[in-house]
Amino acid sequence: MDTLNQVLLYPAFQLGADLEGWLAAGGGQGLIAALAEPAAIIPTLREADLRGMGGAGFPTWRKWQAAAEAPGAGKFVVCNGNEDEPGTFKDRHLLRWTPHAVVEGGLIAALATGAAHLVLYINPHQAAAVAEMRRAVAQWQASPWLARMERALGHPLDIAVVETSGRYIGGEETAVISWLDGHFPFPRRKPPFPAQSGVGRAPTLINNTETLAHVPHILRHGAAWYRALGIGAAAGTKLYSLSGDVMRPGLYELPMGTSLQELIFVHGGGMLEGRDFKAVFTGGPSNTLLTKRDLDVALDFDSVRARRSRLGTGAMIVISEGTSIIRKVAEYIAFFAAGSCGQCPSCKAGTFQLARLLDRIDGGRGTAEDLQALESLCRILPGSGRCGLIDGAVTVVESSLHTFPDEYAATR
Amino acid sequence: MDAHTPPPPEAGPAAAPAAGITLVIDGVEITAAPEASILQAAAHGTAALTANIGCMGQGVCGSCRCMVRRQGERQVETRLACETRAEAGMEVSFIDYFIPEHRHVYDIAEVTESWGLLDQLNAIFPEAAHCRHCGGCDRACPKGIAVQQGVALCVAGDFDAAARGFDECVMCNLCTLACPEHIRPNNLGLFVRRATAALTLRPIDLVRRLREIEQGAMAVEIPPEAGAGAAPAVEHDA
Repeated sequence: MDTLNQVLLYPAFQLGADLEGWLAAGGGQGLIAALAEPAAIIPTLREADLRGMGGAGFPTWRKWQAAAEAPGAGKFVVCNGNEDEPGTFKDRHLLRWTPHAVVEGGLIAALATGAAHLVLYINPHQAAAVAEMRRAVAQWQASPWLARMERALGHPLDIAVVETSGRYIGGEETAVISWLDGHFPFPRRKPPFPAQSGVGRAPTLINNTETLAHVPHILRHGAAWYRALGIGAAAGTKLYSLSGDVMRPGLYELPMGTSLQELIFVHGGGMLEGRDFKAVFTGGPSNTLLTKRDLDVALDFDSVRARRSRLGTGAMIVISEGTSIIRKVAEYIAFFAAGSCGQCPSCKAGTFQLARLLDRIDGGRGTAEDLQALESLCRILPGSGRCGLIDGAVTVVESSLHTFPDEYAATR
Repeated sequence: MDAHTPPPPEAGPAAAPAAGITLVIDGVEITAAPEASILQAAAHGTAALTANIGCMGQGVCGSCRCMVRRQGERQVETRLACETRAEAGMEVSFIDYFIPEHRHVYDIAEVTESWGLLDQLNAIFPEAAHCRHCGGCDRACPKGIAVQQGVALCVAGDFDAAARGFDECVMCNLCTLACPEHIRPNNLGLFVRRATAALTLRPIDLVRRLREIEQGAMAVEIPPEAGAGAAPAVEHDA
């Protein structure tokens, strides 16, 4: 059985803004099921074990439940399409090629939570995605579906495409709220959580684009079907952004729980120029490294966590022997240093000092004291920021220290 | 720019009293006297200080910038090590000098009249108008200066107020490191202080003292050493 591209990337669904084509291919069926029994939406997602695909892997139904139960009118559902992390390139594809799956997922979310606003929050650097989504939304608005939605909701439903600030930090949940409220996308501390107080202080549900894209398929085919797509205990499918030193980098939809070995050596065509596999930055640069002995790991949220790593967005940046891990980590830290919003001096100063120490060590000028200082920073910094940016930066440094102690050994 | 050199063989916590407090500086556990500043603790407890050291405790040079996390606290603050008391369980990380990608070059001799000062400032510091009001500079400043307001005053052209606001600045560079818009508030502050001085009548006591120096009244005679010629008179800077 071919396990590649069964749902989200299924060729017949790659239509762009073509609502008629989407409906002819079976789209809309999920929304029909949702309209027929709105109370069953959240239990179905729970049974399907749909997780947040933006990195956290948090059970989606819980977020939906919290937003549904929160008191308040004018609720918001936001599709987070800010995607701006090195190595992750999945949401832009969905927004560009299957915008109707994303909007339908958003409509079902609005139905489940009783929302009055659906916002498609898209990074303007993905100009094609923004333009395609604008066309797709206009088609939904001109269709009889909107009236059916509003009848079911009992109030008007506003659908809007909003360009994000294009900044990395703008993808953070509370930064999304700040931007939609008309401010600079500054993150703030939680609580209050978005479900309690979000855009315009109304209860707000913010989901990753990929998460929402799964929803119409789950509602159409049922939770059991979705669960069966996964391998072992894992449910459904996952988009993996494969990049780095592989023969065929690209976007792959595979059953949740596919092994890292299969992703790299079967679908990715193996290592570039026959080099030896060294490591993979799992789930993007704010995450942890997996090595040769982890090639058998099943790529689902729980199995990866059992290896003290995280699946994150499903980004897999593959590194071959001969590449300095410290160099790569230093590059990522420089990215975070540039993306840090400025509110927390510990984040700006911390990422700067981490980058400085890594540069010295990688350049061969590091001392044992530099290494001690680096390890010390990994203890000092976590939790000191309003958002998780500094924590992510520390995570990747710490993971490299733990996974590749030999690379740092020269400075010991 | 180098980090601390390896410790000399005899140095170590032995020099500190037994009843001291224990803290961690750049990953090294240090026992310090109860009243010690972080800088004193580092000077006594670690290797010879070769970086992050300048005026040695007077709080005027800004070299000993560091991040501080107190025991049990989540927050990490930026401080000057010489002006912060060492506490038990404290974790400290010194911060390198931050060199931004862009330098602001100007000749203060070209500041000759106030009519064009705002234009000059905008030309030299175009980033100053980009402040996104995150407040990071205020939080980063170990001197408690209202940095963000100072930047706003510069942009608004209220140079006297801005110069007064930056009066306590010691150029530790932490606001520059903190600024996501590359504004370099401390350099902006220094510019308005210089510009304000250049466009203001000098205080008469300063004028008199400078004249005394010029006339040699402040010269110090140093007796010639054996074998050496007469040493030149050493003048004080005003």
